Amino acid sequence: MDEVTKVYEGKVTHRAINQLSFEVGKGEFVAVMGPSGSGKTTLLNLISTIDSATSGTITIDGLRPEEMTKTELALFRRRQLGFVFQDFNLLQMLTVEENLVLPLTLDGLPLDEMKKRIADLAKKLDLGQILEKRPNEISGGQAQRTAIGRALIHQPAFILADEPTGNLDSKASKDVLELLARVNQEQKTTILMVTHDPIAASYCDRVIFIKDGEFFNEIYSDDRRQTFFQRILNVLSLLGGNVNDLSTIRLS
Amino acid sequence: MTFRQFAYRNVVRNRRIYAAFFMASMFSVMVFFMYSMLLFHPKIEDEFLREFAASGMIVAEIILYIFTLFFLFYSMSAFLQARSKEFGLLLQLGMEKKQLNKLIFLETMLIGAVSVATGIFFGYAFSKFFFMIVRELLQLESLPLYVSIKPFALTMGAFFSLFVIIAMTSVVFIREQKIIELIRGYWKTDELQSYSTVKAILGIAMLVFAYGAAAFTSTTVVLALSIVLPPLAALGTYFFFTHSVLFLLHQVRKRKSLYWHPYRLIAISEVAVKLRENARMYFIVTIVSTVAFLSVGTLTSLSSYTGQFREINPLSLIYSSEMSNPYESDHISLLRNELEEQGLSYTLVPFLIKQQTSSFSQNSVDILRMSDVNSLALALGLPLIELPPGEAMFIPYSEDSIGTLKSKEIQTVLEESNVPIRIRGVYPKMLFPSMIIGSNIVVVSDSDYRLINEPFSGRSLIDSSYKFFAFHVAEWERTKSIGLDIDSQVTDAIYDGGFTTLPFYFENPGLNYSVIRATFSLLLFTGLMVAAVLLLAAGSFVYFKLYTGLERDKRQFDVLKRMGLTEQEIIKIVNRQLVPQFFLPWGIAMLHSAFSFLSLQVIWSNLAEVSILSEMILVLVGFTLIQIVYYFLIRWRYIDHVRA
Repeated sequence: MDEVTKVYEGKVTHRAINQLSFEVGKGEFVAVMGPSGSGKTTLLNLISTIDSATSGTITIDGLRPEEMTKTELALFRRRQLGFVFQDFNLLQMLTVEENLVLPLTLDGLPLDEMKKRIADLAKKLDLGQILEKRPNEISGGQAQRTAIGRALIHQPAFILADEPTGNLDSKASKDVLELLARVNQEQKTTILMVTHDPIAASYCDRVIFIKDGEFFNEIYSDDRRQTFFQRILNVLSLLGGNVNDLSTIRLS
Repeated sequence: MTFRQFAYRNVVRNRRIYAAFFMASMFSVMVFFMYSMLLFHPKIEDEFLREFAASGMIVAEIILYIFTLFFLFYSMSAFLQARSKEFGLLLQLGMEKKQLNKLIFLETMLIGAVSVATGIFFGYAFSKFFFMIVRELLQLESLPLYVSIKPFALTMGAFFSLFVIIAMTSVVFIREQKIIELIRGYWKTDELQSYSTVKAILGIAMLVFAYGAAAFTSTTVVLALSIVLPPLAALGTYFFFTHSVLFLLHQVRKRKSLYWHPYRLIAISEVAVKLRENARMYFIVTIVSTVAFLSVGTLTSLSSYTGQFREINPLSLIYSSEMSNPYESDHISLLRNELEEQGLSYTLVPFLIKQQTSSFSQNSVDILRMSDVNSLALALGLPLIELPPGEAMFIPYSEDSIGTLKSKEIQTVLEESNVPIRIRGVYPKMLFPSMIIGSNIVVVSDSDYRLINEPFSGRSLIDSSYKFFAFHVAEWERTKSIGLDIDSQVTDAIYDGGFTTLPFYFENPGLNYSVIRATFSLLLFTGLMVAAVLLLAAGSFVYFKLYTGLERDKRQFDVLKRMGLTEQEIIKIVNRQLVPQFFLPWGIAMLHSAFSFLSLQVIWSNLAEVSILSEMILVLVGFTLIQIVYYFLIRWRYIDHVRA
C-alpha cells in the first residue's frame, strides 16, 4: 500500500485513512491494531477491493484493483481472497457443508472435486460432525471454523480477517488463532488480520498499529509469544490517547 | 415536537414503506365509493335494473369491505414486524407500552384518514366516468352525476370504522414480545426444516385428485364435485405451500449434482426460507388470485353467452299456439301493431306443425312444410331447400345436433297417415331456438305434407297439430318493448307452475337479450373492479413481505459481494429468488382456475352450449401480463434496495 488516503465525502467529510503506506510480504501473518475509529475496517474494505481509495495505490500480487472492472474485481475476490468476519456471516439458510462449498459452486467446479475438498477441510478443521447442521445450531467456535473453512476452500493466496475472535470465548479464540497460524505456516497463505485483541495479535509475525487513519508503529514478533504480547501492550498503552496524556505505565 | 408530530413524521418519512399499503387501501376506498354512488343513484328508473344494480353493488361492497379489512390487518402486522427494531428502541428509551400503542394508533389513523380522503376524492372524480360506462352497459337514457350525502357517509363510516378496528387490534401483535426480541428482529431459522412428509404428499395428492376430478368430470357429478372440490383444493393448496414445496426443495437439495450449481445453491435455499416464512401469505395470495381469476372468467363467459345469443336465437319473436287458442288472432294483431308503432319492419311466417309417430323410432315427430321453411329461410337470408315427394330432412334442434344428424339417413313411415318418407341429412343452420319445438323435427315436401291428415295417435285431429308464428325483425335488439303483456302472462304462468295450462307460448329474444346483456355486463364490470382490487392487494402482500426481509437480504448480498459475486450473478440469483415467490402462487392460482373452468365448461355446455375457452384464455393471458409487469416493477425496486 502506498500513500493511500480515503476520504468519505458527504455532509460531514471524514478522512478515514490518511497517507497510509505499508507492505505485507507473501506468506506473512500480519495483524493491524488500533483504537476504535482508527480506520481498520476501512483499510480492510480497501484491500478487499469492495471500496476504492481516494488517492494512493494498492497493489496486490502485482495487480491494481483500481484499474480493474467490477466484474474482474469480483472474480479476483472470488479466486484470490478469503474473508473471515467477526460475526461469521455464514448464510443462515445453508448447512455448514453448503456454506463451505459456496465459493466453489460460484466457479462451477466439478462435483467430485468439491466433495474432495470438503472432506479434506472437514478433517483439518474438525467439522466432520456438524456438516449437516445449520449455523444457528452450532457454537461460535464451530461457526468461525466454518467461516475459515469457507475462506480456505478455494485455496486463496490472501486471507483477510476482521476481528475473527471478536465474538468468541477464550478457548474458541485460541482454537481459531492456532488454526490461522497453522494455515499460514502450512499453506504459506498470507493473512491480514484486523483485531482489537492483543492476544490475537500476538499470534502474528508482525503487528501494524494505526491511529486516526495514519501509521503509528509496527513491531515484529520474537521467539516467545509472551514477550511479544507484552510489547504489543506497551504500544497499545501509548496508542490509547495522546502520548502526553498518560505516563507509559508498564503492565506486568 | 409533540407526540402527534412524532407519529406524523414517522408516517411521512416512512412513506416509501407505506406507499403500497396506502395505494391498495386508497384504491379500495375509491372503488367502494363509486359503487355507493351507483347504489344511491336517484335516477335508475327501471325497476328490475335498480333492484339488480343495487344488490350487485351491495354484494361487491361487502366483499370489498371484508377483503380490505383482512388485507389491512395482514399488512399492518407485516409492517409492525418490519419495524420491530424501532419499537424495541423506543421501549428501551423508556417509552411506555401505552404510549407505543397510542403511537401506532395515531399512525394507523393518519394513514386511514388520508387514504379515505384521497380515495373519496378520486372516487368522486371518476364517478362520472364510471356512470358513463354503467349507462352504456345498462342502456339507460342518462345517468348524471349527483350530489348527496349518502355515499360519502357510507364510505366514510365504513372505512373509518375499519381503520379504527385495525388500529386497535394491530397493537396486539407487539404486545407479547420482550424488548430484546424486538431489537433482535424476527429472523427465525428453527422453522426451516419443519415439514412433514405425510402432509407434503397429502397436499400434492389432494391437488392432483382435485385436478383430475375437475378435468374428467361429467354432467352427472359436476354439481356434487363443485361442493366437494373447492375445500379440498384449498386444503391441498395450504399443505402444498406449508409442506409440499419444502419437501420438493429438499429432494432437490439431496441431489448435489443438481443443487451445487453456481446460482442454485443460494437461490434454492433462499427460496425455501422465504416460502416457509411466508407460506400462509402465499396460500392467501393463491386463493385470492384464484377467486379473482374465477370471478372474472365466469363473468366473461357469461358475456360470451350474450355474444352467441343471436346464433342460438335466430328468430326475433316467437308465438306458438294450440289450435284451440282463443287469443291467437288478438295476440298476433297486437304484436303486429306494436311492431308497426315502433317503426320496425318485420316478416311473419306462420307454421302449422303436424305431429305423427315415426315407425322407425316409435317417437313423435314434428312435421313442417317445405314452403314454410323456405319462406322463413328467405326472410333470414339462409339457404333454401328443395325436397321431392317422399324425401324429408331434419331440422336441427341444437347446434350440436347439426353435426350428429348430418350424415343420418332413415327410412320411416309416418304411421297414422301411412306416409313413407326417407329422411336424409339436416338443414345446415339453426332455424328455431333449441327446445322451442320438440327435438325430433323434420321438413317434408308440400305434397307429402298434404297427405298427413290422420290424427296423432290418442288425440283428436285438432290436438295433433299446432300453430307457430315466427317473426323476423331485422333490428331485433329493438324489440324489447314488444309484447310485454303477453310476455308477463307467460312468465306468470311459469312462476305458478301452470305452464301447460296456457294455450299459447311467447318469447321475445330481444327483451331477454337486453336483460341478459345488461345483467351480465354490469356483473362483469363490477367483478372486474373487485378483481383489480384483489390483485393489487395480492401484489402488495408480496411487496410487503419482500420489504420486511430487506434488511436481512441486504446483509446477505453484502457477504456474497465480498466473496466475489459479480453484479450479473447477483441479478441472476435475485431473479431465481423472486420468480418463484411471484409466480408460484400465481401459477397455482392459474392451474386452479384452469381446472375449475374445465368443470365450468361442463356446466355451461349443459345450459347453453357456449364455449368459454377463448374468453378464458384471454382472461388468463391478461392477468399474466399484469403479473409480469408487477414482477418487473418490484424486481427493479428490490434490486435497487439490495445493491445500495
